[in-house]
Amino acid sequence: MANEYILEMNHITKVYGSNAVLKDVSLKIRPGEIHALLGENGAGKSTLMNVLFGMPVIHSTGGFQGEVLFDGQKVNIASPMDAMEKGIGMVHQEFMLIPGFNVTDNIKLNREITKPWAISKVLGKDLEFLDTKAMAQDARKALDDVGMSIEEYTLVSGLPIGHMQFIEIAREIDKSGMKLLVFDEPTAVLTESEAQQLLNVMKSIADKGIAIIFITHRLDEVMNVADSVTILRDGQLVSSFAKEDTSPEKLAALMIGRGDESVVQVEKRKEEVTGGIAMTIRNLWVNMPGEMDKGINLDVREGEILGIGGLAGQGKIGIPNGIMGLYEAVGDVELFGEKLPLGNAGAALRMGLAMVSEDRRGVGLLLDQSIENNIAFTAMQVKGDFMNGFLRQKDTRAIRKYAEDMIKELDIRCTSPAQPVGTLSGGNQQKVCVARALALKPKFLFVSEPTRGIDIGAKQLVLETLVRLNREQKMTIVMVSSELQELRSICDRIAIVAEGKVVDILKVDASDTAFGLAMSGVKSKEGESA
Amino acid sequence: MSENTKKTGIRARIVPIVLFALAAVLIVTSIAGYVLQNTPSSVASLDKMQTAAVLHAASEGLINSIAQQARADKLSELRKDKNFRKRGLDEVNAICDGAMEEARAEAEKLYANPVVQDQAALESVITAFEKALAESNGLSVAERAVYADIYVQLVDNTSDWKFASAESADDAAVLSELGKTAPDLLKAENAHLAGGFVRLARDMAVKQQAKEDAELQNQLLTTLATAIPDWTEYTGLDQAALWDKLTAEAPELKNGEKFKDALLKDAADRIAAAEKGETLPAPAESEAGAETVSETQADYQYFTATEALNREEEAEKAAYESLNTQLVAIIPDLSTLNSKLQNTLRENIEKVLWLEDSGFSSRYNTYMAHQAAADAGDAWKLRLASLAQPFLLAGIAVLLLGLVVFFWKPLTSRFGVPRTIIALFFVYLCLLAELYDISVRMMMGNVLERMTMYGVLVLAMMPGIQCGIGLNMGMTIGCISGLLGIVLALQFNMVGFTALLFACVCGAVVSVPLGWAYSKLLNRMKGSEMTISTYVGFSFVSLMCIGWMMLPFNNPKIVWLLSGKGLRVTHSLLGSFAHLLDNFLAFKVFGIKVPTGGLLFLCLCCLAVWLFSRSRLGIAMTAAGSNPRFAEASGINVNRMRTVGTVLSTVIAAVGIVIYSQAFGYAQLYTAPRQLGFIASSAILIGGATVSKAKVSHVLIGVFLFEGVLVFGQQIANSVVAGGGLSEVMRIMISNGIILYALTQSGGGRRA
Repeated sequence: MANEYILEMNHITKVYGSNAVLKDVSLKIRPGEIHALLGENGAGKSTLMNVLFGMPVIHSTGGFQGEVLFDGQKVNIASPMDAMEKGIGMVHQEFMLIPGFNVTDNIKLNREITKPWAISKVLGKDLEFLDTKAMAQDARKALDDVGMSIEEYTLVSGLPIGHMQFIEIAREIDKSGMKLLVFDEPTAVLTESEAQQLLNVMKSIADKGIAIIFITHRLDEVMNVADSVTILRDGQLVSSFAKEDTSPEKLAALMIGRGDESVVQVEKRKEEVTGGIAMTIRNLWVNMPGEMDKGINLDVREGEILGIGGLAGQGKIGIPNGIMGLYEAVGDVELFGEKLPLGNAGAALRMGLAMVSEDRRGVGLLLDQSIENNIAFTAMQVKGDFMNGFLRQKDTRAIRKYAEDMIKELDIRCTSPAQPVGTLSGGNQQKVCVARALALKPKFLFVSEPTRGIDIGAKQLVLETLVRLNREQKMTIVMVSSELQELRSICDRIAIVAEGKVVDILKVDASDTAFGLAMSGVKSKEGESA
Repeated sequence: MSENTKKTGIRARIVPIVLFALAAVLIVTSIAGYVLQNTPSSVASLDKMQTAAVLHAASEGLINSIAQQARADKLSELRKDKNFRKRGLDEVNAICDGAMEEARAEAEKLYANPVVQDQAALESVITAFEKALAESNGLSVAERAVYADIYVQLVDNTSDWKFASAESADDAAVLSELGKTAPDLLKAENAHLAGGFVRLARDMAVKQQAKEDAELQNQLLTTLATAIPDWTEYTGLDQAALWDKLTAEAPELKNGEKFKDALLKDAADRIAAAEKGETLPAPAESEAGAETVSETQADYQYFTATEALNREEEAEKAAYESLNTQLVAIIPDLSTLNSKLQNTLRENIEKVLWLEDSGFSSRYNTYMAHQAAADAGDAWKLRLASLAQPFLLAGIAVLLLGLVVFFWKPLTSRFGVPRTIIALFFVYLCLLAELYDISVRMMMGNVLERMTMYGVLVLAMMPGIQCGIGLNMGMTIGCISGLLGIVLALQFNMVGFTALLFACVCGAVVSVPLGWAYSKLLNRMKGSEMTISTYVGFSFVSLMCIGWMMLPFNNPKIVWLLSGKGLRVTHSLLGSFAHLLDNFLAFKVFGIKVPTGGLLFLCLCCLAVWLFSRSRLGIAMTAAGSNPRFAEASGINVNRMRTVGTVLSTVIAAVGIVIYSQAFGYAQLYTAPRQLGFIASSAILIGGATVSKAKVSHVLIGVFLFEGVLVFGQQIANSVVAGGGLSEVMRIMISNGIILYALTQSGGGRRA
C-alpha cells in the first residue's frame, strides 16, 4: 500500500465527434493532498471529472483513451456507483439533498444502519428496522467533523444554503473507505466566513489522509489551501506544480494564455476614443438565473467597442439582458444623458438601443418565419417602418428590398429571402439577428455572445461587420463574449465581470496575468482607476 | 453504406410499383368491360335477358299467388276443424307452410318455364311498354320535382297559415298569398298545381288553428286550476252564474268563449271534487317548445298531374294492356289473378323495365335477380361488362393509393400526414358514392351549404392559435353571446337583414368583455390553456343553461308557453332570418345550389382576418404566439397580444354562430353549443394548422375536407350499414381523433 499516488490519470484523451476536448492530460494526486484544478470554462475540467466518475455521457460517446490508476491498481470505472464503491466521492455544486428529510436521513441516505427483527429474518433485509440511534450518532460525528453545530434531526428544507453545502460534505466523509473527494466550486455560493470555514474543513479532511481535488476560480483560495496545482487550457495540460513554486499572477497568466493568432485582423485605432459618455450604468442589479448581477458600475464611451468578458455564470450576460428589459433589473442607467426605464424592452428599443441576443434560437429569431419577416419585424413593431397603404398593411416590397440588401451586405447564405430561418446554419442565423438589430438603425448596440456555436468563417464575418459598423457609422457597441481572444481582437477596452460585479477594466494589450486575476475577482495594477 | 440506402430505396419503391401494376390490371379490365357493354352481341343478349326477366316476373307472380292461395285455403280448412284450437301455433304454421310449398312446387312445374310461341311479338310489346313507361315516368318525375320544390319552399318559409283559414279568404286570395312565398307557383305552366296547394294551405291553417286552440285551452284550464283557491264557494250555481263568477275571478277566461263548455265542465268537476274534500291536479304542461328539427319532405297528396302527363299515362296503360295480352297468351292462367295481384304483377314488371339509372350493370343485375341467365357463351362477357364500373373505381382507388405512397415524402412534408390521409379518404368516399349510386353533385351542394354554416366558426379558431393560446375551446363563450344576440332580435320581433345585422353586432358587443375576462384568466394559466379553455367553455354553457331560464325575456314566441318565462330550447328562425344569407344571390349550377351570400360573407370574414394578420398588430400577435420571448425582446406586450387574439376569436365565434343559425334555420340554446369548439378545432387541424400555427387557407381547406368527409361519410355509412347513428359515431371519431393527433404532434410541454 505504499503507492506514492492515490490517483493517477495518464494520457487521457477524449473526443466528442471530431472535437477533442481532452488532449493527453495527466493528473497525479498523493494521499492526503489538496490538489487544485484550474482552468477557464471549457478547458476540460468537467470532462476530466466525468471520466473519473465513469459518467454515462463518456461511455455513450465512445469512451476515452488513456488509463486510470487508483491506489496503484489499474481500474475501469463503469459508473458513478462504481466510483463511490471504490472510495471516490463528489461534493456537487447543485445540492443533491431531499428537502423533506432531516439531516441524519440525508447523510445516511441509501446507507442506512438497520437492525433485524422477526419478520425481516424471514422476508429479507429490506424489511429491517432503521437503527435511528446509531444513524444519529454517525451523523453527529460527521457534522462535528465539518464543524457544524446544527442538530442532526433538523429538516433540511429550512436551512440556509451554506449549511446545505456542509451537509453534503458531511455525507461524503461519513462514507467509510473514502479516499478521494472532489469539490466542484464549493465556495461559489458561500459567504466569506462560510467559505473560510469550508477551507478549514477541507484541510482537516486532508489531514486524515483523504485526497481532495479542488475545482475553483478563486486563486486566493488556491494559494490558501492547495498543496499542488494543475492548470488546463483548451483541453490540454498546461502545467502542474507544487504551490510553493507559484504565485497568483503566474497562475492567472497560465490560465488565460495568449493565443497564437487573433481571430480577425483589424486595423487598430490610431488614437484612443475620447468621446463623451454614451451610457452610464450605476449599481445595476439583474435577476437573470445563472447570470446574476449584483451592482454593476460601468461607463461606455461614445464611439467605442467595449468588451465585457468573464467566466460563465459570473453575470456578464446579465448586463445587456437587464438593460434591454428581458430580465428583472434595478439600478440607474442613462443613455446619452437620458434616463432609461428598466424592464421595458419597447422603451429601450425606441431610445435607440438594440441587442443581438446570446439565445439565438430562443430569443433572437422566429424560427418558422422567413428571413425577411425576421429582419423587418422589430423595426416594424418599434418604429412602424415597412408599413404602407390605407389599411396600414405590411409593405412586402420594401421588406423584400431591405432583406435583399442585408443578405448581400452580410453575406447571408440562403436560397431566397423567403426561406425560413430555422433551416439556416447557426452562422447565417446570427447574421439575420444582426440584420434585424441593424434594421432599427440603433445608436447603441449590445452584442451578446455573437460567435457562440458558429464556424470560424462566419465568426470572422460577424466580427468584421461589427468593426465596420463602429468605424463607418460611429455606432457604439458593447460586445459580451466568453472568448477573451475575440474581445482582444476587436475591442477598445475590456471590462471583466466576476461574481456579478465589474472587477476591472483593461486595455486589450494588458497582460494575461491581469486578465486572469480579474476573472478570479482580483483587481490588478494595470486596470483603469475607475 | 450507399448499397444499404439503395436497398431500402428499392424496397420503398416496391409497394407503389405493385400498386401501379394492380391499378393497371383493374383499369384495363374495366376498359374491356366498357367495350363489351357496347358490342352489338352483348346488347342483343341483354335484350334477350330482358324478355326472359319479364316472363320470369310474370310467372313468379303467378306462382307466388298460387302458393299464397294454397296456404290461405289450408288455413281456413284447418279452422273448420273442431280440433283447431288444440293445435299450437307452430304446428298450424308448419302445416300451412307445407301446403304452400307443395302448391308452389306444383305451380313451378306448370309455369316456371313458359313456352314462348312468338318471341318477336313479345319483344316488341315489351319494348313498346318500356318506351311508354319511360316517357310517362320522365314527365312525372319532372312534374313532381317542381311540386316538391314549391312544397318545401312554402312549408319551410311560412310560419303563419292563418290567411288560408276558411272564413277569411277565397281560393284566389289564398293563392296570391302563397305566391308571395313561392313565386314559381304563379307561373302559367304551374297553374294545374294551384288547387292542390290551396287545399294544402287550408289544411295547414286548420292544423295550426287546432294546435293553437289546444294550447290556449290547456293554458285556460291551468289558469282555472290555479286562480280559484276554494271551489266550495261555487257549489250550486247554474252555468251562467258560474261563468260570470269565474270570469270575475280570472278575467283572462273571457278570451276563451270558445272553450266555455270545456271550462265549465272542468269547473264542475273541480267543484264536485272539492265537495268531497279533494283537489284535482292542474293539467300537464304541453311540450310545445321542444320541436324536433328535421328536413321537410314533400307530401304528394296535394299533387295534380297535367294533361300531358295524363295522356302519357293513358298511353302507358294501353301499352301494358297489349303486353298483358301477350303474357296471357303464353301463360293463360295469369287472367285468373284478382285485381290486387294484377297490380302487383304490373309493379313487378315495371321494376324490371323501369330502371332509373338504366346503366348496363344495373340492368344486368336486375335481370340476373329474375333468373334470366344469359346464353352460356355470353355469360362471362356480360358478367365482366357488368363489373366494368366497380373495376374502374377500384383501379382509380389503387392508382391514387400508389401515387400517394410513391410521393409520400414530398406530400406529407408539404401537406402533413393528417391532411394527406383525410384528402385521400375524401376522394375514396367520392368513389364509393359513385359506386353506391349516390349523387355526388347533390352532396357537393350539401357540402357547400355546410361550409357556409361552419366556416366562420372555424375561422374563429385562427386568432386563438396565432396569439398562442392554442385551440380555443372556450369559443363557446362567443357562441353564447351570438345566441344572445339572436334571441334579442327575436324578442324585438326583428326580421330580415335588420335582425341578422342586429344579432351579429349585439353578439359581438357582448362577447368583447366576456372574451377580455376570459383572456385575463388564460394569461394567468400559461402552459395549460387547452385544459382551461375546455373547462371554461363547458362551464359557461352550463352557467348559461341557468341564464336562459332566468333572463327576463317575455316575447311569447320565444318563452315557454305556460310559465311565460325562460327561453325555449329551439327557436325557429323562419320568418326572421333563416337562410337569409344562403338564399341571397343563390343560383344553381349543374344542379348544385350555390349559397352565394353565405360564401361571400365567409370570404369577406376570411379577407378581414387575413388583412388583420398583415397589419402591425396582427404580426405582433402572431410573433407573441409563436415565440413569446422573441416578442418580448422586441418590446411587445405578450399578454396584451394574447388578449387581443382571444377577444378576436370570441367575437368571430359570436358572428359565426349567427351565420350558423341562419344556415341551419334554427337557433339552439342550452347545451347545444357545447360541441362546437371540438368541431371547429378538428376542422382547422385537418386543414393543416397546428396548435401553434394557422393560416386562412387552413380554415378554408379544413372546413371543406371536414364537412366533405362528414356529408359523404354519412350517406355512404347509411347505405352500407342500415340504420342511422353510424354517421354521428364517425363524426365524433374523426373530430376527436384529429384533435388527439394534433396534440401528440405539438409535443406536449414544448410550449411550457
